[in-house]
Amino acid sequence: MFETRRVRTRVLLQVLLTVLVIPFVFPLVAMVQGSLKGAGWANYGTVLSLPLLPGFFRNSAIIAAAVIVIVLVCTMTAAFGFSKLHIRGKEFFFWLLLACLTLPGVVLLSPLFATVTRVGGYNTLWAVILPVAALQIPFTTLLARNFVDGIPNELLEAARVDGANTVRTFWYVLAPLTRPIMAAILVLVFINSWNEFLLALLFLQTPDHQTITLVPQYFVGQYNNDQTKVLAAAVLTGLPVVIAYIALQRYFERGLAAGALK
Amino acid sequence: MSFSQQLRRGALVALAGSALLAGTLTACGGQEASGDGGSATSGTVNWWSWTPDNDLAGREIAAFNQEYPDIKVVYKKVPIDNYAAVLRPALASSDGPDVFTVNASGSFSGTTFAPYALDLTAGTKKLLGDDWQSKVSPIGVKAFTVKGRLVASAWAKVGAGNMWINKETFDQYGVKVPTNLAEWQQACDTFRANGLGCFREGMGGTSGFVIDTLHSIMDSAQPGLWSNLLAGKAKWTDAGVVQSLQILQDLTTSKILDAGATGIQQYPDVNNDFLTGKVPMVQMGTWYQQYASVPSLTAALEGAGVPADTKKITIMPISFPDVAGKGNPSTLFTDPDAGQAVNAKSKVRNAAETFALWLGDTTNGQQVVANNLDEFPTLKGVDVQFDKVTLVNPSVQEPALKDLTQQLSSATEARSYGIGAQLSAAIVQACQQVTSGKKPGDVVGAVQTAAATGE
Amino acid sequence: MTTLTHRPGATTARPSRRRLQRPAGLPWILPALVVSVGLLYYCIFYTAYLSTLDWDGVSPLKDSVGAANYVKMVGDPVFRGALWHTLVFFVVSLVVQVVLGIVFACLLHSKLYLKTFYKVLIFIPVVLATATVAPVFRQIYAPDGTLNGLLGAVGLGSLQHTWLSDPTIALLIVISVQVWQSTGVVFVLYFAAIGQIPPEMIEAARLDGAGNLRIIASIVWPSVRGTTIAITILTAIGSLKTFDIPFLVTSGGPSYGTEFLGTQIYRVSISFAQVGYGAALSMVLLVLALAAAVVINVGGRRGSATDV
Repeated sequence: MFETRRVRTRVLLQVLLTVLVIPFVFPLVAMVQGSLKGAGWANYGTVLSLPLLPGFFRNSAIIAAAVIVIVLVCTMTAAFGFSKLHIRGKEFFFWLLLACLTLPGVVLLSPLFATVTRVGGYNTLWAVILPVAALQIPFTTLLARNFVDGIPNELLEAARVDGANTVRTFWYVLAPLTRPIMAAILVLVFINSWNEFLLALLFLQTPDHQTITLVPQYFVGQYNNDQTKVLAAAVLTGLPVVIAYIALQRYFERGLAAGALK
Repeated sequence: MSFSQQLRRGALVALAGSALLAGTLTACGGQEASGDGGSATSGTVNWWSWTPDNDLAGREIAAFNQEYPDIKVVYKKVPIDNYAAVLRPALASSDGPDVFTVNASGSFSGTTFAPYALDLTAGTKKLLGDDWQSKVSPIGVKAFTVKGRLVASAWAKVGAGNMWINKETFDQYGVKVPTNLAEWQQACDTFRANGLGCFREGMGGTSGFVIDTLHSIMDSAQPGLWSNLLAGKAKWTDAGVVQSLQILQDLTTSKILDAGATGIQQYPDVNNDFLTGKVPMVQMGTWYQQYASVPSLTAALEGAGVPADTKKITIMPISFPDVAGKGNPSTLFTDPDAGQAVNAKSKVRNAAETFALWLGDTTNGQQVVANNLDEFPTLKGVDVQFDKVTLVNPSVQEPALKDLTQQLSSATEARSYGIGAQLSAAIVQACQQVTSGKKPGDVVGAVQTAAATGE
Repeated sequence: MTTLTHRPGATTARPSRRRLQRPAGLPWILPALVVSVGLLYYCIFYTAYLSTLDWDGVSPLKDSVGAANYVKMVGDPVFRGALWHTLVFFVVSLVVQVVLGIVFACLLHSKLYLKTFYKVLIFIPVVLATATVAPVFRQIYAPDGTLNGLLGAVGLGSLQHTWLSDPTIALLIVISVQVWQSTGVVFVLYFAAIGQIPPEMIEAARLDGAGNLRIIASIVWPSVRGTTIAITILTAIGSLKTFDIPFLVTSGGPSYGTEFLGTQIYRVSISFAQVGYGAALSMVLLVLALAAAVVINVGGRRGSATDV
């Protein structure tokens, strides 16, 4: 992107990048430092030795996986529909969807709880999976629609001319091109479902169903607040997502392959 | 009609239908009590609370199971900041907890959730006899009786209005325990000259500990005013209130109270600062005595993130100094901290009632509370068994703590029972404003408005 | 929404023939609508109904008071303050995040060293739950915290301050935490969008003698317009809804100096048990959010080639 042929410019840009990143790193360092205070690495030991921890990880993983699948399916089909296909009153439906984004969590608790328990979902993972997915979809659809808008219609026309129906066009032509945004959405949805706290607290009653976000409360009492272990738990909770991000890194880089047009 | 038109129609219908379905499902039912309540000595009881911590709850439940082995209790600890938000929808549905803990006042009080609670009068009478009211702490009865129904069994109480000091720091600099404003000033001057803070309090966050400070100042300036205010017999715009807020402001300007109070929180900021020895004085209530015990202080220090070999301080209770200079005695005011309520819709009501009453009204249940030191039992006749507790500095602390217990049992003034959530927020706001420099006379109007709403 | 075709020489659509040939899209958007709308619309209607009540959320008695809650809102100074804070929060956080996002995205598309390392560092804050990082920030800005310590160490002791007890500074602190947490997302989106710009365009501009800033302004900025609009909408809605950061870092204080609609709704509904008023505030939030989204979308569309 930027001019980097001259050494001077290269160094300047590298320095600029580093300086800009420092404020982001500073609190992270403070966090890790904080998690090592007091008992040091034993803090991590305490958190890891919580007997229910593997179960928490497993539940969080199941929830995250289910939400990701539901959201990706609904988002990509909806983005395709809104962006490339003909729907009467399209914008009306779009705003209908967007309105779901606007309600703050606390407002949703009562009606959601009533609905979920009525259909027998209390203390099941579905009670967390469905609302989290429902809350993510408007946001991801907005992003995905925007991305799909940037894919030239000629590509899809070409496929149609070749005799493909809509479904085949979607699956064989569009889906591969949307890898960058799908990767971005996957990571963002992963984060939001992994970090979901309030709904998990509300709907998951027994420890064998609970998620990893409920771990810090083991260390926060009414009159005490063990920050060191809370921070250790936070670092451990964040690791899987960071790893996922690093792994999906290269998919972000694939831009619209100019080769497809030629 | 074309296919796409038909499809569109169908979609709209489906959407409306699903929303409507969700609505109907929710609207119908969920309000009546189910069944006969089950057996009183067996079943699985779900207990939700913000306190105690998981290990203490485990000990309580284990002690309970020695008497009632067939009742399985599952404890779910909800962080205090989310408790009210989580409890509301749970109780509104038919899948809520069987036993839930309530406070004396505030957003999750017995009064707030009274409509969902079972009347425990009959059960209590069966357990303690018809004169049960004389066997338990009277404030517990008062706070948890709503419209003639006993909605919760008082489980623990706390007192406030006293202060705690770091004895080692006082001894190190030869500072006398202050009993009036002048002595307090002197003490703080000495501490500051040596690079320490003096009296620190956290006014930020959602907790209202500053209300205790204002209460203590008011008891020093005009005894009885606080009770009158809560009973509606006095106004928050009266001279006594203005004078008390002025004294609070003076504490900041004369550098007795550490700067930055409105930006820090009592827990964990001030708590950590005091326990690690950075600050010699805090105003906390009787629950702080838990830090006189070695295991609790060790855990607290570990949580504060200091090395394991940090010196354990000796904390001592002292009376709030006579800041108004009128010679009025310092007081301890008390409230029930928690009561156990039973969900009237619970399918295992009877077993739940057995557990709730056991916690609050039996010696065994209350002894666990007493020996943990952070709360006081509400059942008369239960005391801390000091031989079972390891204190940091027994020779100095044991007599002081026994004295504190004595004061608490003879305390009659209510702490915050009767202060609604809005009034509580308004008082905190007023205290924050005068600490930041606003004139007391200008801030009391809003407090009176909040008090007048009666909420 | 706009579509930008990148290939030089691409023609604009022949509208009428296109429209007739486009397949019906309704079945494609149904899954999303059923999941989201089906589950959440009941919540919206329920909240609208609640906003006409004077109710504590618990007792069986509900007083219907019509629009009284909305009237109360107009005279509520805390509400007006919350709106003002939201506006400041939105503008400042949007500008800073967009600038940082684009700069980072451009830098990380260039030939520099250790790019993955930087990408990860920028993104980690996004991953962490706010509940766990809030205490870290409170510690940094505490009177005896890291920031004051740093100032003292470099000799700037006179600048030391009780940061969190000043309402204006507290608001800036809340904004800074939000920027710290969300720039990673903005960066990722811009990174994906900029990746779609054909390298030939950049090369051509360079051959024409354009410098770095020129390229950003004339090529990058217009190309990522769609992303910018989406980010603006999401930031607007997020600013209106914001709850975690002000609640956990400053609790809406000091003296309601960092109160937002989200924290006010929580306080009013849960702490004060005024469920009706809280619901009215939520409805206003919904309307404001939708209005903002419409305005931003329309404003973004003006002046660019539209494609049906």
